[in-house]
Amino acid sequence: MSAPRTEIIAEARDLGYAYRPGQFAVRHLDFQLRRGEVFGLLGRNGAGKTTTVRLLTTLLPPTEGGGRLFGKELVACGRAERARLGVVLQSESLDFVSVERNLRLYAFLWGVDRETAKSRSEEMLELFELGPMRERKPWALSGGERRRFQVARELMHDMELLFLDEPTVGLDALTRSRILDYLATRARSGLSIVFTTHILHEADRLCDRIGVMSEGRLRAVGPPSEIKRAYRGARTVEAEFERALSGPEGQELEALLARDGDGFSWIERRDDLLLFQAANAEALVASLARWAGSRGVEMTRIAVREATLEEAFVHLVSEGPAPELGLARRRS
Amino acid sequence: MTLPPVLRLVVRNFRASIDPITLLVMFGQPAFLIVILGTMFNQLIPSVGASGSYVAFLVPGMIASQMITGAVLAGRIFWLDRRWSMVEQIFSGPFRRYEYLAALLLTTLLFALVGVGIMALVALPLAGLPTLSGVELAVILATIALGATFFGALLIAIGSRIRSANLYFTIQSLLQYFLIFISTVYYPVSATTPTVLKAVVYANPLTYAANTVRDAFTHSFGPGDLTAGVVLGGLALVTFLLAVAMFRRLEFGPVQ
Repeated sequence: MSAPRTEIIAEARDLGYAYRPGQFAVRHLDFQLRRGEVFGLLGRNGAGKTTTVRLLTTLLPPTEGGGRLFGKELVACGRAERARLGVVLQSESLDFVSVERNLRLYAFLWGVDRETAKSRSEEMLELFELGPMRERKPWALSGGERRRFQVARELMHDMELLFLDEPTVGLDALTRSRILDYLATRARSGLSIVFTTHILHEADRLCDRIGVMSEGRLRAVGPPSEIKRAYRGARTVEAEFERALSGPEGQELEALLARDGDGFSWIERRDDLLLFQAANAEALVASLARWAGSRGVEMTRIAVREATLEEAFVHLVSEGPAPELGLARRRS
Repeated sequence: MTLPPVLRLVVRNFRASIDPITLLVMFGQPAFLIVILGTMFNQLIPSVGASGSYVAFLVPGMIASQMITGAVLAGRIFWLDRRWSMVEQIFSGPFRRYEYLAALLLTTLLFALVGVGIMALVALPLAGLPTLSGVELAVILATIALGATFFGALLIAIGSRIRSANLYFTIQSLLQYFLIFISTVYYPVSATTPTVLKAVVYANPLTYAANTVRDAFTHSFGPGDLTAGVVLGGLALVTFLLAVAMFRRLEFGPVQ
């Protein structure tokens, strides 16, 4: 986004954690976080995202491997390093006082002076639209309001690296968008963010780089655009016909495309709409056009677009990394 | 000026974790017992040993039992912090685990001292309070501090291993009533007390604390109080170390 991000502020080196002997929740994690970047951790439920966050925030000691936080070994990190972190946990945490008092009390815990806490709480109440419920107890809020409250409370203190474990769960699209905009602004001003989410277009929009996790392993790390491109270097071709193709027509088309060697794969095949993943989209389009012309079937629409992050994600977690991503399954 | 981390956590414990109704019940109940039990049994029991009236016997016992009240309140804070993920949240911030533990134990002690003050105020019009020497007052406070550490650390150690609120609060209630009723808080141990019951009463640290406070009130310290202090101190140290060990192994994640 702004200045070059070269300073490494956190890293995982062959990092692993087992909740029970031999039962690793995450293993062989290797990645680095750079100052000022937004790093997204994507993965299915149970992929190991939360454990990774707990390891990097020193809540859990590594079972194997290691890593560094602000230049210090994770196992040696203490108050000084954690004072530079912000952590929004996946599970809700709260004190038994009103929303506003929660914000101020949390600031007090972090040693924020009273005046700053007062002005910042007003700012957060407004930003996260919590003003009307400032006197209410957090547990009486709706799920989305509680999530907003969690993020707002964490932003009451200064930090260099913010971990957000699924911060937008339960939020409506507008609120999510506002929070993401705010986080992007903070990132531009130098805050580093680690962000876990299931909402892939959020990661696509906000993250400079993403790591895709599956079954406790990191399957790929890179900018969203690279991950999408590296998804077999493919783009998505959508071809719509004037009418539904008959069974024999479909089989003939499939055989033709396979013979032409355009390196495609089917994504979806409905009666009149075909979706392909193609390494050489132009050649595929040409083949389709030739076949449609020879058969007298009119193509009403043809579109070539980049693969979405969701398509790349589904591929990575179900089939493993593409060779181009570098992070091959060397230890899987 | 920023307070040290332990004190910030203690302030937070007082400001955020216990609601006024809970405090009223926790401190009101023993105060109520002094008033009701003291008044009613005073009519039945003409005198109890060196204490004189039953109410004068009861008051030091209730004062000693405040160490349990303090421990129960701190245990409750710890459990709620686990339940609402505040332990994990605090540990991810600029605090060390031992600071959180120290803050809980300090909170236990402060709650116990608040309880002692309330009991003394309630007892004043009923039985009056003896004039205590500096040494007697210091011994009472030291006894309360050691007892609060023992019971507080015990409940925290138990709370750090249990993942069910029902189980934790059941154990806590059982322990609380068992310790208070099978001790010398409400009644003295005499030659006619059954041997088995006597053994259980003397295995209860609260008995030693109650006896020491009572001896201070009657200006009758003896070698037994020194032994009691040493035993209580040893037990406090053991349970503190146990709580530290449990804290090191504390698992995060959902509790019910």
